Amino acid sequence: MRIAGKLLQYALVILVALTLNFALPKLAPGDPLSFAIGEALAQEMTPEARAKAMQEAGLDGTLLEQYGSFLKGALTLDLGHSTKLGEPVVDVLADRLPWTLRIVLPSLVLSALIAVALGAYAAWNRGRKRDLWLLGGILTMESMPGFWLGMILIAVFGVQLGWFPTYGAAPLFSAGGWSYAAAVLQRMVLPVATITLVSLGSYFLLTRSAMLDSLGQDYMMMAEAKGAGKRRRIWHALRNALLPVYTHMTMSLSMLVGGAVVVETVFSYPGIGSLLYESVLARDFPMMQGVFLLITLAVIAGNILADLTYPLVDPRVRSRRPREGTR
Amino acid sequence: MKLGTLGGTGRAGMMGRIGLFLLGAMILFALLGPLLIPHDPMERTGAPLAAPGDGHLLGTNDIGQDILAELAAGARVSLTIGLAGAAASMTIGVLVGVLAGYRGGWTDTLLMRAVDVSLTLPFLPLMILLGVFLGPSMSTQILVIAILMWAKVARELRSQILSIRTRGPVQSARAMGAGDGYILRKHILPMTLPLLIPQFIQAVTASILMESSLSFLGLGDPLAKSWGSILFYANARSAFLTDAWIWWVVPPGLCIVWTVLGCSFIGYWLEEKASPRLKSYAAPAERGARGWFRSRPSRTAASAAKAGETLRIDGLTVEYPKPDAQESVAALRGIELVVKPGEIVGIVGESGSGKTTLAAAIMQMLKHPAESAGSIRFAGEELTELSDRELRAIRGHRMALVPQAAMNALNPVWTVRKQLTEAITCHRKLSRAEMEKRIGTLLEQVGIESRCLQAYPHELSGGMKQRVVIAMALVNEPAFVIADEPTTGLDVLVQAEIVALLQRLQQQLGISMIFISHDLPVVKRIADRIVILERGAVVDEGDPEQLSRHSTHPYTRKLMDAIPSIGRLEQPLERPRPAQPTPSPEPLHAAAGR
Amino acid sequence: MSHSTNRAESPPTEPLLAVKGLRKQYEASAFSSAGKEVLRGVDFQVQPTETVGIVGLSGAGKSTIGRLVAGLERPDGGEILYSGQSIGRLRGARRRQAASGIEMIFQDPYESLSPRMRIADLVAEPLRIRKKYRGNRAGLEQAVRTALANVSLPPERYMARYPHELSGGERQRVGLARAFVDPPRLVIADEPTSMLDSSLRLELLALMDRLRRDSGTATMLITHDLALAYRFCDRLLVLSDGEIVESGTPAQVIEQPAHPFTLRLVQALREFHP
Repeated sequence: MRIAGKLLQYALVILVALTLNFALPKLAPGDPLSFAIGEALAQEMTPEARAKAMQEAGLDGTLLEQYGSFLKGALTLDLGHSTKLGEPVVDVLADRLPWTLRIVLPSLVLSALIAVALGAYAAWNRGRKRDLWLLGGILTMESMPGFWLGMILIAVFGVQLGWFPTYGAAPLFSAGGWSYAAAVLQRMVLPVATITLVSLGSYFLLTRSAMLDSLGQDYMMMAEAKGAGKRRRIWHALRNALLPVYTHMTMSLSMLVGGAVVVETVFSYPGIGSLLYESVLARDFPMMQGVFLLITLAVIAGNILADLTYPLVDPRVRSRRPREGTR
Repeated sequence: MKLGTLGGTGRAGMMGRIGLFLLGAMILFALLGPLLIPHDPMERTGAPLAAPGDGHLLGTNDIGQDILAELAAGARVSLTIGLAGAAASMTIGVLVGVLAGYRGGWTDTLLMRAVDVSLTLPFLPLMILLGVFLGPSMSTQILVIAILMWAKVARELRSQILSIRTRGPVQSARAMGAGDGYILRKHILPMTLPLLIPQFIQAVTASILMESSLSFLGLGDPLAKSWGSILFYANARSAFLTDAWIWWVVPPGLCIVWTVLGCSFIGYWLEEKASPRLKSYAAPAERGARGWFRSRPSRTAASAAKAGETLRIDGLTVEYPKPDAQESVAALRGIELVVKPGEIVGIVGESGSGKTTLAAAIMQMLKHPAESAGSIRFAGEELTELSDRELRAIRGHRMALVPQAAMNALNPVWTVRKQLTEAITCHRKLSRAEMEKRIGTLLEQVGIESRCLQAYPHELSGGMKQRVVIAMALVNEPAFVIADEPTTGLDVLVQAEIVALLQRLQQQLGISMIFISHDLPVVKRIADRIVILERGAVVDEGDPEQLSRHSTHPYTRKLMDAIPSIGRLEQPLERPRPAQPTPSPEPLHAAAGR
Repeated sequence: MSHSTNRAESPPTEPLLAVKGLRKQYEASAFSSAGKEVLRGVDFQVQPTETVGIVGLSGAGKSTIGRLVAGLERPDGGEILYSGQSIGRLRGARRRQAASGIEMIFQDPYESLSPRMRIADLVAEPLRIRKKYRGNRAGLEQAVRTALANVSLPPERYMARYPHELSGGERQRVGLARAFVDPPRLVIADEPTSMLDSSLRLELLALMDRLRRDSGTATMLITHDLALAYRFCDRLLVLSDGEIVESGTPAQVIEQPAHPFTLRLVQALREFHP
């Protein structure tokens, strides 16, 4: 029952995303053909060629027919051609996606680990100076726009100190092998650091508040009365605090991917984010729509992962069978 | 003042003040800046990329526009969009939230579906897509912000309304026959409004950040300068590759940080004020360190311990200093108490009498601001002088606590077996087989079937949980157990079972026990001696029979008389009867069942 | 049974409240997959001026009966007849009209009074909701004063105060004043004393008893405390697992419990009240 509801929910989200993709060019002022195949091309066409192009782009017929053919295209992974690059949108996406994953996944893991550790530490020391400083520092970090932090990191560590390259994801010329891998890793450092620092805040605050909640619970008193030491007691509280943190983390994939868009732009990192930015600059509409759809799918994948794995971390969802028995 | 003594609210208040200062200063800058700075941000007024100084406090950008002037103009744009975007999204969110939360049913289902979908869609890409198709302008930015942020507000508000709807004031108004309009007007809105303010602050923060991202991606109003668009140009000209980054890139970002930080501090402060739950925990004082927890064992008492006493308390006083006032609230005043081996001492008191504080004081587990004085000797050892480590070795090993609210005393994410095992491993190393054997005996004693070991707490009934908690207290064979309200919250039938169980265990194992309860009949049943506690002081003491028959203390008498004895009232209604009600003519349901 | 002989003698007056085959089921929650049937066909009646005690363990469905009669929830089956009129499924103004005279006293005195209203406004709330004394401020104030005085809270000292300035016992008196300010015909008291210290319980119930006698009101006293119910009720209904398993005068129920469940309940009671 619950699973069916969830799946329906996700199907609905995909449908809404597709519909937005379909409807936005129709609602926006301008020539729908320009949106589909690019302005330059659309304007030079003869009326006959234009009619043919309209038909190919699925822009003839009633709105409903257009919608139908659009959905059909989307389901067969035909998202049109990039007006800027001339390649199928799907191919370009497949090309760029791995780069984004390479910086987003390490950032997710890193920021989660650091934030949970710091959050638990701050909560345990609530009311002390350390908590105050951590909280202030993290709130400051959270109020920085990711792109700005990226620019500052480039200026300091890339330009002034010269420790890291400031541009791209891989060297243009390389012999391959270990030196190539090292160069790629080196170029990952600053983007990963930026995304990690920017996303630290929300995880930290959530961990801290969930941890404070657990620390005030009766089972913590029981743990103390048992004679459990500090480490055991922190683990008692943290194990419970991890539940909301875990859910939030899997769900917040979308924020992270979103953050990657602007950060990639600053670092000219050839992932999905810069792709989106380049398409915006070139008004490459099919490409933009493709990116939007891809990120939507990624978010849903994150949600499904959360739903599937949550029972592993919370026993209360796992078993519903009441057990009883007194002698 | 020392930071530590500021406590939760004080610190939050300080953050609130800092936040108000940050935000206020930025608003002043936005209002007055353009009037005071002699340069027009749109005009070239200096050399390109001029360093700070020379009439341009923060230098110029690549076409020679004054950066300070740009920042002031940007402050106006960013703050305007921040406020307008927040206001727009709050308006939609509040409407949807109230409608969904209050109407319920299909309206709720449909609206919440929409909210969920909207929250699942990826935020930033959607923002970019909308920005591109709607064309860059300030009104687009506000619209995009509203479209993206209403859902969060709606969801929060709905859940708040749902919870308020089940609360007492609304329920009683409905029982009085109040209509929807009345309840909404008189109860729900006044209760939700204070909660909306932190939400609004959050929305402002998010709007400002979104505006800067949109502008940074070139989707801002091309005619207006905002902090984001300054950074857009700086990025496009690769300002961070030159020295100009210090005056061109850093200041606009600092403006954003300044404003957003101001808002988050205010938001944090308001939230802390609104949700007292966060006040429930404060870091424990480190023992021995100079801090809040001071313990002064009185010298007279230290010598008074006699052999043959399990526990001896002398002159125990516990106070909770009030954060604002000088005087403190005394929870316990000069308690004298002795527990002999094998004795059950019942401690009876009503709410506020200090019963639970007494249990915590004996366990040396008093909560944060408490200050205690006096002596607590357990088997000859002065507990107030022990280190954390020494205390840990005693707690749960030689002296155990069955805490109040045993319903929640088990950690919900672990099985009963794991929690019982942990109680053992805290104190001693046992082989697997020994462990199994010990747990087996224990389960036998408290009357739990061994299959319950695999269970998680939520799978057990209240009575079973209480038995598990008792088992956990007894697992290391302590000499002394404090049972704090062990029957509260249980049904009468289960209460009787638990009391019988504790009595039997006490006899079998020969432990001493303090049995704390507000329920005099229960204590009378189990205790060898009863101590009556009133507002933190022992007012009467004696064995149950003697207290209930002969005590002349007015408070004791009041408690004794409050027991609605069914034995004493042979004729249950000693009041004049009203016109004899006609006995029920309805068929007895029970008759069919028999 | 003794009261079946009474039945023949007494004139067949119309009951104030007649509950027939009442059923209620709660929907599946996050932790229990199946819907739980809390009331499985409950029948009983309340005569005018009678005090009926509904006793049972937690989860037996006692409170649900009260909430259904008070209109806070809707039954899934069965009928609630109040003065001969079915009120179980009415809503809005029609319910307000048909159910006039039903008042409820809640369990938690800390939670049921709005923290932002003064005592005077809290006591006046039922009158305001029912639009009584409209445009008659003096009359409204007089009614509030009388109600407060009736529960031994001096009006001049209490009217301007807020609930948080009152003790639990005082708050529950305000709850009583609210229930009796607009002369009721049926008062549903849902565990009115369970959150109070035991030394206050008898006092509050005695006060309620006096108020209901003075105004000739019928009462449903919902409680887990058999001893209290024994002391204050004319008749007891024992509820177990959503069914009424026993009904009779307090003396009958305590001294000759017929149903095994009642027997266990009485035995547990005797444990602590020898």
